[in-house]
Amino acid sequence: MSTFKYNDTEFAVTAAGQGWDITRTLPDGSAALVGTGLFAGMGPAEAQIRALALVKAIYPVGIKVVGPDVAHPNMIGDLRIVGPDVTHPNFIYWDKDSASCPAQL
Amino acid sequence: MEIKGSVVLVTGGGNGIGEAVAKYFAKQGASIAIVDMEQKNINRVVADLKAMGAEAIGVRANVTSEAETARFVQATLAAFGKLNITVACAGIIRDGTMLTLDKETGKVSRKMGLDKWAPVIDVNLTGTFLTLRDAAEAMVNGGWPGLLVTISSVNKCGQVGQLNYSATKVADALMPKIIIGEFMLRGIRNIRCVGIAPGYTATPLLTGMNQDALQAILKDVHLGRLVEPEEIARTIGHCAENEAINATTIEVTGGLCYAGGIAK
Ligand SMILES: NC(=O)c1ccc[n+]([C@@H]2O[C@H](COP(=O)([O-])OP(=O)(O)OC[C@H]3O[C@@H](n4cnc5c(N)ncnc54)[C@H](O)[C@@H]3O)[C@@H](O)[C@H]2O)c1
Repeated sequence: MSTFKYNDTEFAVTAAGQGWDITRTLPDGSAALVGTGLFAGMGPAEAQIRALALVKAIYPVGIKVVGPDVAHPNMIGDLRIVGPDVTHPNFIYWDKDSASCPAQL
Repeated sequence: MEIKGSVVLVTGGGNGIGEAVAKYFAKQGASIAIVDMEQKNINRVVADLKAMGAEAIGVRANVTSEAETARFVQATLAAFGKLNITVACAGIIRDGTMLTLDKETGKVSRKMGLDKWAPVIDVNLTGTFLTLRDAAEAMVNGGWPGLLVTISSVNKCGQVGQLNYSATKVADALMPKIIIGEFMLRGIRNIRCVGIAPGYTATPLLTGMNQDALQAILKDVHLGRLVEPEEIARTIGHCAENEAINATTIEVTGGLCYAGGIAK
């Protein structure tokens, strides 16, 4: 088994049959499966590289800027307020900064 | 297309029909990418797929966002190196009539707001479009045999109280014809597109509803019971294997016959 830290989350890559399982540690300390039976036939080093690439694709780090959302104006009386629609599912906000800079991976 | 060894992406795969589709294809030897908004359900389904000995990943994503549909297709390629079948199962309902009248005055007391209209259009229509568009992009560029599946509903014929939902499901039913017409125009030959229109299906949404209401629904179903999610999954499996099924939407309803021919 090998582990790596990405965006303050601990991931483990564990051999499972012919392939590899990737798990991540949840805030409560329990583990959740990210993927199972992946990268069949690959050695540990190659599997770890592929696992990191996959984890980066699944859990991207970044800031999303949501511009004026003309399709979903917020109405206040007859006033149409065209701005970020905080109730729209595309609107993501961060209420907590990452506790540390992610290690160089 | 042979299912064994293929890669299947299922949005809404954390529950109901999507979960059944994921498990059906896993049983047939496909690798599975589950996409859903609910991380708990993703964790559960990926763990089940592991117990079945399948290859699988779970991606939490919202199908209404372009950035996220691109991300889950990219994650699927990072895990499995190709993509063959994409089933756009993510869907929601927000029922209500367009107008509600005050019983005493007979005047309009309430209108269906965009809070009920927009999310249904966003998930069921825009989400299906973005999912299929980005999956098709990967399939064209990768040159793999592909199948795109929209999930319509028998309510495509028009369901009272579901102006929003029925509008999306009639569009989802139409998409395969247009997409394949466009593929012909562009010389894209490796991808087929099929829609599935389930009838009343035994997902938690329906099995948990008022049992009297459920019995009233079943009066219109020739089979006399709800369709099982696995029966929807098997139909999609058949569509994958039978190349002649293309550019059409198939109803799987158990013989839903509304009295008088229209939805109530
Ligand atoms: N159950 C039925 O009787 C029935 C009948 C006809 C059509 N359908 C259609 O089948 C599909 C699946 O329905 P179901 O009954 O399994 O529903 P369900 O609620 O059990 O599952 C839908 C899944 O989609 C996910 N989802 C919702 N919004 C999402 C989003 N924005 N991004 C990603 N995932 C999202 C949910 O988290 C959920 O896991 C829907 O499109 C529905 O309209 C269902």
